[in-house]
Amino acid sequence: MQPHSSRFNCASFYVCVLLASPSGVAALAAAPLHAQTAPHGPERHVHGIVEDSVTGRAIEQADVIVEIAPTTRTAAGATFRKRTDDHGRFDFLDLPATIVTIRVRAIGYVQDVRTLDLTSSDRLITVHLIAATNMLQEIAVRADTLAERLGRVMATSTLNAAALSKTRGQTLGETIKNLPGVALIQFGPSIAKPVIRGLNSQRVLVMNAGMKQEDQQWGTEHAPNIDSFDASSVTVVRGAATVLYGADAIGGVVRVDQAAVPDTGRLHGDVAINLFSNSRQGALSMGAEGGQLRLPVVGTTGFRVRFTSRAAGNGAAPDYYLSNTGFRELNGSATLGVARSWGTADVRLSRFGTELGVLRQAHVGNAEDLQRAMTTEPTDSAFSYGIGRPNQRVEHTTLRVRTTFALPRENSVEVVYGLQYNHRREYDNHGPLRFRNEPAFNLKLFSNSLDVRWTHPRWNGLRGTVGTSALAQGNQTLGKAFLIPGYDLWQTALYAQEELVFGRVSVNAGLRGDVISQTTIAYADLGIRSAAGTRSWKNGSGSLGVAYVLADGLDVSVRAARAWRPPTVNERYAQGVHHGTAQYELGDATLQSERSMGLETTLRFRRPSLHVDAAAYSNTIGGFIYLQPTQPVLTIRGAFPGYRYTQTSARLRGLELSSSWTPAQHLEITTNGTLVRGTDRTHGGPLFDMPADRVTVAARVTGSRAHLGSWFVGAGSQMVRRQDGVPAGTVYTLPTAGYALMQLEAGSTNVVLGSHHVDISLSVNNALDTRYRDYLSRYRLFVNDAGRDVVARLTMPF
Amino acid sequence: MTKMFSRSSFSAGSLALLVAASACGDSSTAPGGETEIISRVTLTLTAPGGAVQTVYVDDADGNGPTAPSAQVGTLTLARGVTYTGAVKFENRLVNPIVDITTEVRAEANQHRVFYTVTPTGVTLTTTDLDSQNRPLGTTFTKAVAATAAPGAGTVRVLLCHYDSAVKVGTATSCAGETDINILFAATIAN
Repeated sequence: MQPHSSRFNCASFYVCVLLASPSGVAALAAAPLHAQTAPHGPERHVHGIVEDSVTGRAIEQADVIVEIAPTTRTAAGATFRKRTDDHGRFDFLDLPATIVTIRVRAIGYVQDVRTLDLTSSDRLITVHLIAATNMLQEIAVRADTLAERLGRVMATSTLNAAALSKTRGQTLGETIKNLPGVALIQFGPSIAKPVIRGLNSQRVLVMNAGMKQEDQQWGTEHAPNIDSFDASSVTVVRGAATVLYGADAIGGVVRVDQAAVPDTGRLHGDVAINLFSNSRQGALSMGAEGGQLRLPVVGTTGFRVRFTSRAAGNGAAPDYYLSNTGFRELNGSATLGVARSWGTADVRLSRFGTELGVLRQAHVGNAEDLQRAMTTEPTDSAFSYGIGRPNQRVEHTTLRVRTTFALPRENSVEVVYGLQYNHRREYDNHGPLRFRNEPAFNLKLFSNSLDVRWTHPRWNGLRGTVGTSALAQGNQTLGKAFLIPGYDLWQTALYAQEELVFGRVSVNAGLRGDVISQTTIAYADLGIRSAAGTRSWKNGSGSLGVAYVLADGLDVSVRAARAWRPPTVNERYAQGVHHGTAQYELGDATLQSERSMGLETTLRFRRPSLHVDAAAYSNTIGGFIYLQPTQPVLTIRGAFPGYRYTQTSARLRGLELSSSWTPAQHLEITTNGTLVRGTDRTHGGPLFDMPADRVTVAARVTGSRAHLGSWFVGAGSQMVRRQDGVPAGTVYTLPTAGYALMQLEAGSTNVVLGSHHVDISLSVNNALDTRYRDYLSRYRLFVNDAGRDVVARLTMPF
Repeated sequence: MTKMFSRSSFSAGSLALLVAASACGDSSTAPGGETEIISRVTLTLTAPGGAVQTVYVDDADGNGPTAPSAQVGTLTLARGVTYTGAVKFENRLVNPIVDITTEVRAEANQHRVFYTVTPTGVTLTTTDLDSQNRPLGTTFTKAVAATAAPGAGTVRVLLCHYDSAVKVGTATSCAGETDINILFAATIAN
């Protein structure tokens, strides 16, 4: 609640300035900070901004009424009325130098009434309005404003529900691949791992439904186990976000969020159908939600359910099919939520299940087999929906219980408990037939997590969150072949993220301490060198960022961040052949943790017809863990190129630029460029597997018509430059050629079809059926990347 | 305070869940192992008179990174003699020892053993067949010509496994996946 002081003197004015927090970029820039201006005659100037007390968002079109009471000297009172503009600002000139009453009203908010004393000076005030209804939804949103505040000092990109439904691809990775700073490691069209600023797997944290995704993400071929239809927004945070999210976020975060379960409203939902021509994939997703389910004991409950199914056959490169790359998916989720006077609570249960084939050619025996596979043109070139060996089966089940307590004086506490069970089975071709139905790798991962976050009320302009996070995880290694040992992992952390805003400057600081303990269990088999033992790591991470509003619509930020990451179990104990590359990988149990020190700067420019976002960064990672070629490993099977996990000092630097320009009313031109340079500082030379430079340019024309709805047509090109940063130790010749792909799109939202309104979109990816091999593709030694893909998407709300 | 949905019992419940659920995370590493590991390859050559020579190579750590042992035993072949031979694949890392050769014979249609011999003048011909009359190769004859050059010779044993690749009767090298690739030394006596 705003202090309603009846005497606004000099001291309380400074309090007001400190409390002013521009949420829109340009908010305060146009309201210059006239501190204590000298009174200029009997006319006073009152100006300020109206914001939502919880989210900090500016409230446009709010009514601001200044009332001057009748006094003995002025017979009648006077009333001045204005509306706040698009940035929530208002401005009153020529007010009498007396005590006035200001009322601020907006739909959905409780009216704010205050008295201002204008006798000695002008006033600049900030009004925080409290939502009248939906107070509880706002509180649920409050916890997510962490991400919003972080967005002022970090480079982030978000795809909202509308953008998602127009660009949803075969996998989550494909959906976000055109965002700046993002590249993909793909195993054909069915597996895509996001790469943020050159870093991937255990350096990119994936969050789904507010929980850190624990799905054995250390494997390069383990794609995030997330239903991309079950998302209302996907956000990519680039750079070290470890204070809020934990050690894995050393490279960045991919957040998949769902909207809060409704607390009012009748049943409604949607049916979505996506068809992909390249792999002849059909995907069907149905969702429904409502706010008026009546349950015994609990009362009125909101709910949401979703069911998704996909079936795809072999992917197609321009000249041949990628044999055995089909996949299936069967996912479902259900959420129940209540909103009461004390806060909100919800329970969510979800299941993700997939079966995917692995390119048959990529599954080789020894180095000679690999040589043969690399030089032979694919012969098994027929389309099939069948999935044979080698293949993978993954199930990911989650349970999340979340409660948010709305405490007095704008305090809120959020408690999230998550239970995740990930079961991954990989089947290969080897061995006698009687073992063929047993998985080669059979890994079960159980994770329990508990997060408690306290968002404290604004205090002297300081706004922030203090939280703790705990994880208890256990892994079982069953199956014929060794990959990683069984282990237990315990993690606890304490963190605080605060933001202080004064005038044009906002300072964002965070500090986090983690304790991580890993206990591995000996593998009872000759020749597997995994020792039993416990190791623990303690370290801190922190960040300090400053954002400054240079001018109306232009702001810059600079941020320094220190982050760290302990070595994962596979980096310490891997031992065995990685079939797709005939690499014999050896872990190193003595690896130290990685420590990164990063500096980044972002620039945001906003005008009605031009938006530009730019970011530059330099990240030095001490103890950077990677696979280094060593001498060949000889086994009874033959010779394999040997690789050992080792550490070096690395530096990653890069630049990202994205812009959106509207030169004419219905024309939008977007560009996106990403540059990443990774250097091995100890040995000199580039780091392995860095994404090549890329630029995407696209143009889109929009319009609207009665029965056709809001339509759009566009074309674009993605251009990837040759990768000339290939390290010397690379054993095989990797594809480094650049390429350009053309993309076309068309569609419309709100098309009238009979009695329904539907959204339709059509995309053609790689429209010219270009032959290419991306440097990061894991099938790059064997086959080209996918050819033309015609995608049709239909969403029908009901 | 307004009526709550048992706030205290809720948090107690969460804690109980956390404790209970961590119990199902009992980590373990089941000693499943790769039971079809081949840890020893043995070559046996029998002279027409009945004398038997055996050599073998061991890979004591199975799929581990330690290189296979040096060859144990020697093969000394007389010129002008044709030997009958057999190869044996075993997994000696488990108890009782598993003879993988019987499995290879049982799945003859998915396997083939290729031999490459030196020096010139030495010819190795496999004798056994699979169910479709294509060569298998677990038994063979090795003919050393009278004119073969004396001195060092080699025998390379390649066990090939066909699943996706098609086993063809006339192949001269492995087109499937290699399960064994071992080089033996065989001296040609003067």
